[in-house]
Amino acid sequence: MTAASQLQSAPILGVNSLVKRYDNHTVVNDVSFHIEAGETYGLLGPNGAGKTTIISMVAGLIPADSGSVELMGAVMTPTSTRVKGHIGLVPQELAIYPDLTAKENLMFFGRLQGLGGKELRQRTDLVLNLIGLGDRAREQTKKFSGGMKRRLNIGIGLLHRPTLLILDEPTVGVDPQSRNSILESVETLASEGMAVLYTTHYMEEAERLCDRIAIIDQGRIQAEGTRNQLVELTGGVDRIDLRGTGSTSNAATALRQLPGVQQVDSGPSNLLLTVHNGPGLLAPIVAEAGGAGMALTSVEIVRPDLESVFLHLTGKALRD
Amino acid sequence: MRGLRTMVSNDLRLRIRDRSVFIFSLLVPLALMGVLNLSFGGGGTDSVDLQPAVVVASSENSGQLGEALLEALDTLPMMDVTVTRVAADEVSGETRDTGAELGLILPEGFTTAVTSGEASTVQVIEGDVASIETNVLISVVDGVLQQFAAGTVTATAGGMAGLPEDELTGLAQRTAAGPAALTLSEGQASAEQLSLSGSLVAGQTGLFLLFTVGFGVLGLLAEREGGTLTRLRSAPVAPGTIIWAKALVGFILGVVASSILLTVGSLLFDVSFGSPAVVGLLILAVAAAATSLTFVVAKLVRSAEQANVAQSILAMVLGVAGGAFFPLQTSGIVATLMDFNPISAFIRGLGITSGGGGVADVAVPLAIMLGFAVLATVISRLLPDRGARL
Repeated sequence: MTAASQLQSAPILGVNSLVKRYDNHTVVNDVSFHIEAGETYGLLGPNGAGKTTIISMVAGLIPADSGSVELMGAVMTPTSTRVKGHIGLVPQELAIYPDLTAKENLMFFGRLQGLGGKELRQRTDLVLNLIGLGDRAREQTKKFSGGMKRRLNIGIGLLHRPTLLILDEPTVGVDPQSRNSILESVETLASEGMAVLYTTHYMEEAERLCDRIAIIDQGRIQAEGTRNQLVELTGGVDRIDLRGTGSTSNAATALRQLPGVQQVDSGPSNLLLTVHNGPGLLAPIVAEAGGAGMALTSVEIVRPDLESVFLHLTGKALRD
Repeated sequence: MRGLRTMVSNDLRLRIRDRSVFIFSLLVPLALMGVLNLSFGGGGTDSVDLQPAVVVASSENSGQLGEALLEALDTLPMMDVTVTRVAADEVSGETRDTGAELGLILPEGFTTAVTSGEASTVQVIEGDVASIETNVLISVVDGVLQQFAAGTVTATAGGMAGLPEDELTGLAQRTAAGPAALTLSEGQASAEQLSLSGSLVAGQTGLFLLFTVGFGVLGLLAEREGGTLTRLRSAPVAPGTIIWAKALVGFILGVVASSILLTVGSLLFDVSFGSPAVVGLLILAVAAAATSLTFVVAKLVRSAEQANVAQSILAMVLGVAGGAFFPLQTSGIVATLMDFNPISAFIRGLGITSGGGGVADVAVPLAIMLGFAVLATVISRLLPDRGARL
């Protein structure tokens, strides 16, 4: 969560009732959201949910069948040349030239964005250092690891200091170390005031980076809000998983009488409790179960997360 | 313009770094020119040294014109001919036994027949080993006989006009034995003919131009498959910049490669194509035509692989039909269609410039190539996109 996100300002991006159809199949259906300056906005959904199609319309790659995209107050379409200069796009698939060096890649795309001369050289050096490729600047990128290519892919997107940085699944296929580096870079950019539109199907990335999140499935936004607002949609309950030996049926009966416990489901060697404020109730629950003859071997509190929210909203797991 | 310039310079850098353009646009065609010249061009020279030949002939009682024919063979300036005279019934056997290049039987009364306008048959017998010398000798005999035939026509015409017989004979003999009143002089420009080596250099240049320009527009498909097209399309450049940049790259590569091939080919195979400025115009026009064709290809395919296959097929069809390997003899509608082949027009234009033709002389080939470019571009705009998403 960034401090900048707390500021009230005019939206950088306004997406209004976007619709996109292919062969009578609606892949984006009445999608609306906005992003303010310094805000990181996440589109969270499984593969095929419509995230990339939304981004393609926002970046002016394809036209919308209906609805509109406004960037800095100007309408974005595939022919909006000037407006495109405000956007830094990091496509899901690598968009770099393997026969060029990292520096040549950056300078080529920088020139296309209108940079030149001393400014271009300075920005190139700065970005190379930011993405940790300063010492590999003059190597052809075909010799790079997957993580290095991913970092360069992001670096190209932010070279010209865009008002809105669009990242489409930037960590797919990346090793954990490079993934963490990418996430840190996004956090740094957001803290510096850049608006970020981030798509992912990794729940933990959305939770870590995004000020607000839209949960999207089958082309529709199912819910939108901060992480906590979304979790509230599940009822704000925790789950406590008790495992042990002895009389689980007696323990279940006793725990159902305990204030704050909403539901107890019995398994062969465990009990699954649905409770309000799991951490606060943990001590009486352990005592009650022990008193009823259940010898506990493990206790786990499962707090609701975006995975739970997605499951709650769509009836299926995020990675289905 | 800045975006266009940036894309073009980047593409040219990629093509140069890739090196495939050097291999497929320069080395391969030069190697092919060399092989084809060795195979068909006599090692780079168009002349053939004729070997001495023997003609076994019978000319008993054939008269003055029969002797004139044998003397014409005996004194050929281009080859050393020995005429051996034998009886008519021995010509065939003697030709076979001695390995002579040609046997020749002139009938009795040959001169009388010619001068009186009557039919007469001269029999030629090819040697067992037919050679280029045999063909040359037959051609010479045929040429002399045709001149004699003119005498026959003269005598016939004189008879129909009512001339006395003694005047008719004299007139026919003068016509048959005298120098031809009309001669055919072969000029290079008027015939639009290149030498064999020149045809191969021009043809291979035209053929490989069709492959070379493909490095431009078809590179666009490779960008799509490589993911960079998305980033290019999100850049703040005017619509159409990407496609024009690719076309310009193909055009530039085509012009440069063709210029190098014609220059190096000229030096290696001792060919002159005439005025560099006019040849330059022809190169620009054929490169424009070839580039426009790649627009059509790009619209019809779904992937870079399909594009390469389609480009290769089109290049071979247009190249072969245009005379990249050897001239095709056609007539009627096919010949008319062939005239609109830009490669054919390019080679024809080079034939004209090699004979000293200027800009006005190559106006028709230039118009054909530029017309082809316009037509192909218009067609490409009308064709639906099959998936390349240009």
